[in-house]
Amino acid sequence: MEMVVCIKQVPMVSELPWDPATGTLKRDLAEGMMNPACRHALEAALQLKARHGGRITALTMGPPMAEEVLRQALALGADQGFLISDPAMAGSDTFVTSFILATAVKKYCPNFDLVLCGCYTTDSETAQVGPQLAEELDLPAAAFVEEIAKKKNCLIVKRLSDGFIETLEMDLPGLVTVSTRHYAPRYFSLAGIEDAFPDAAPIRTLSAVDLGLERGSIGVQASPTRIVNVYTSRTEKQNVILRGAPKQIVEELLDRFGDRIGGAMGKDIEK
Amino acid sequence: MSGIIPCMKHQIVRKAVREFAESELGPIAHDIDRDARFPWEVVEKMRPLNFFGLQTPREYGGAALDTISYAIAIEEVSRVSAAMGLCLTVHNSVGIYPIVRFGTKKQKERFLPDLAGGKRIGGFCLTEANAGSDAGGVETHAVRDGDSYILNGTKIFVTNGGICTTPLIFATMNPADMRKGFSVFIVEKETPGFSVGEIEDLCGMRANPVSSLFFEDCRVPADNLLGRPGEGLKIGLIALDTGRLGIAAQALGIAQAAFEAAVKYAKERHQFGQPVSANQTIQNYLADMVTEIDAARLLLYRGCALKDAGKPFSAEAAMAKLYCSGLAVRVSTTAVQIHGGYGYSKEYDVERYFRDAKVTEIYEGTSEVQRMVIARSVLSAPT
Amino acid sequence: MKQKLEIWVFGDYRNYFQNRVTLQLIGKAVELAKEIKATVCAVVIGHELDEWIGEYIAHGARRVYVVEDPVLKEYDAATYAFLTARLAEVHKPDILLVGATSFGREFAPRVAKRLKTGLTADCVGLAIDQDSLLVQTAPSFGGNLLADIVTPKQRPQMATVRPGIFREIPHNYEAKGKIIRMPLPIDLSSRRLRLRKSERQPHQSKKLEDAAIVICSGRGIGSRKKFNNLYELAGLTDAEVGATRPLVYAGWAGHDSLVGQAGKIIRPKILFSFGVSGAIQHTAAVNDAEFIIAVNKNPKATMMKMADVAIVADAGQVCSALIRELKKRIR
Repeated sequence: MEMVVCIKQVPMVSELPWDPATGTLKRDLAEGMMNPACRHALEAALQLKARHGGRITALTMGPPMAEEVLRQALALGADQGFLISDPAMAGSDTFVTSFILATAVKKYCPNFDLVLCGCYTTDSETAQVGPQLAEELDLPAAAFVEEIAKKKNCLIVKRLSDGFIETLEMDLPGLVTVSTRHYAPRYFSLAGIEDAFPDAAPIRTLSAVDLGLERGSIGVQASPTRIVNVYTSRTEKQNVILRGAPKQIVEELLDRFGDRIGGAMGKDIEK
Repeated sequence: MSGIIPCMKHQIVRKAVREFAESELGPIAHDIDRDARFPWEVVEKMRPLNFFGLQTPREYGGAALDTISYAIAIEEVSRVSAAMGLCLTVHNSVGIYPIVRFGTKKQKERFLPDLAGGKRIGGFCLTEANAGSDAGGVETHAVRDGDSYILNGTKIFVTNGGICTTPLIFATMNPADMRKGFSVFIVEKETPGFSVGEIEDLCGMRANPVSSLFFEDCRVPADNLLGRPGEGLKIGLIALDTGRLGIAAQALGIAQAAFEAAVKYAKERHQFGQPVSANQTIQNYLADMVTEIDAARLLLYRGCALKDAGKPFSAEAAMAKLYCSGLAVRVSTTAVQIHGGYGYSKEYDVERYFRDAKVTEIYEGTSEVQRMVIARSVLSAPT
Repeated sequence: MKQKLEIWVFGDYRNYFQNRVTLQLIGKAVELAKEIKATVCAVVIGHELDEWIGEYIAHGARRVYVVEDPVLKEYDAATYAFLTARLAEVHKPDILLVGATSFGREFAPRVAKRLKTGLTADCVGLAIDQDSLLVQTAPSFGGNLLADIVTPKQRPQMATVRPGIFREIPHNYEAKGKIIRMPLPIDLSSRRLRLRKSERQPHQSKKLEDAAIVICSGRGIGSRKKFNNLYELAGLTDAEVGATRPLVYAGWAGHDSLVGQAGKIIRPKILFSFGVSGAIQHTAAVNDAEFIIAVNKNPKATMMKMADVAIVADAGQVCSALIRELKKRIR
């Protein structure tokens, strides 16, 4: 089975400075990591490959340092990688990102059977790129998938959707976005990392020109959405800070919030 | 020279090992130290990830990492659990490397796959009651008897002592002239006459079962002689050169952990209405710690790069070991100081770092021996 | 004459009685409609829809677009997206809101793609700005950051909205609404994703999800023994105990206890958070807790910033003190 796994590099930290000039996050300030859900998607692909054979292509879009997630994908067992990287793509929203990814898939992996994405990323959390990529590639798609099995020319996928456990049969080629519930990712083996750095690495960098994309069709100017403000969500929260000896803290806590705690447990707490 | 600016591979190795160590060892590091328990359940998970064959060639099931990657792996494991880092560095460097370097093809095929796969654990047994820094005092002796050697003697303070199954034993075949007959044997634990003493109750590295090993008429096949008779000192010194890089990495990991704990605590702990990190004295401590750690890391990677380049690195390894171990002691001591009373409590990890750090100045050549090696190299250089 | 603007709300009627997000969105749409002088409309797709059409009108929709056919009986994101996009191409709504259910989050991106417009995910706020643009507030980094997003040019302006954010308007079954039906288009392609089995999730232990009080612990609790003390506290307060990933990995707590994006998403009345630093995967799962009491030695930990009461102290010691004090005070 020919598989394409879309992988995003996300910052390891949870709070990043925001650049008001471009309306985007200053990603270059943080160490990157493979987005957890993408790693689950890769794990699903690796398990399918172990069972049915085939090849895994890892595809990412991001700054040059995003090559790291492709190397990590190779280390975990992917066969080749494409890094879509071009300053002209900066600020692309999900609409444009899915367009660019689709263009790369059509041009460089046209014979795929299955595209796997993580169900969402930890930085922007839209969960939109997968379904939009399916539209671009005109594929059947199932989101938030937990288990995948191949049956003849179909895929049997299982997922939890709004309180229903659904079993679906999907024609191939198709697309799934993988949830973080089932496919617990494997650890890196050190030999795997060594293997990810052969003399001729199976990694290719693709620019907008390589993909035949016009400048006007990508990046921030082609994106329908605009971020106008980013701010910390909890800053206005006037929280109570308690310090000191544990006994005093606990007494103060129960004096001030005992009613609320007692209310939640349905018992009275003495003042 | 590679190593000054970390390359992508080294960053991935660091992240990968850190992820594993923090997930698997992080939650138990405190407990295994307190209970002096070796975490076999973690070993189980480490085996398929090549932690036991870090630099072993691929044909024997190892990862064949470059030496900087090796140092990073040891540093990152030691940052979380120095005792586990110790197990790995001893196993990989002084335990396996001599077999890779001096073993016959047959010996390599016989011993390396199980060692690199972590099915068997290596060890390095030189120290005895009357021999430590001076290898010349080794009293364990081997007597040829047909196709075997018969070993008798006692090794003490053996790292991995309680768990090693394929240790290297240094013994002399010529008690009259110890050096002439000084040799190395690969001895399997199942051999009759091989027994393990009580686990030592040590100050630090408590999760590593350090013990004595006893050999009583222990009959070892002649095929298990590593190198030629009388090559023991040469093999030992070469093994220790590479081992020192590992111990330096281990000490660096302890220093890094202590430093991170100190920074975290200095920002958390409030005194006089502000975090103690607002205090210039504390800032100076932290600045010195991080500068020294950075310097130590470069010193260590230089030694590693020389080894990979096939150049002499004996003095550089000694410098790295001397500096990193001293650093671990200094940084962990300062980290305890920054923590104040809490730092002296077993509640906080810095207390463990403090105890673990000291021995890095002692084993695999004391700091005094390192200085001897370094001075010898200085004085023997042509002027 | 310029046609009156329309705000559309997608009628996500599955789990109607638990999932009120469609009604909440109609309620919000009524509010927004006043500012831009728009008509509130619902879109309903499926089979045997009269009940939902009536409900949506009763809750504030003045116009309902309906595509009804037995072949549409099962929820299917691709088919529903095709039909919704087709309707939108004809009637050109200004705003299209979709509940951020599992289905909505799969369906809406496809509609947006078909309509070549922008979409903001999982919004927690909606407002109209001075240019009459819809300002969509979306969380990112597990709710640590909020972003205000607009779609200046393309139409409709689309958002998926988290359930429970807005209030539904009390029903009025006297209300009247216009029903506009679209026949099934002949170019609707056959399904390439077929539902083979769908069963309600068995009523599994939802103790953590349903608990009024949850006690969550992270690595900062210090030791397994101290972690186990939390069960005593839980016994006293009728609480459930949850854990972060490192503790689950260490075997201190079972996977059932994992509170995080890969485990349980909780919304207790009170969350006690002991020694949790606040990794994104965890904070996202506790974001909806009504009242958070966090204990951590580090006042700057993300969890402490999220907390209503932030206790700067050793988690294990506070737990023991709290057990002692509660024993004295609980009547």
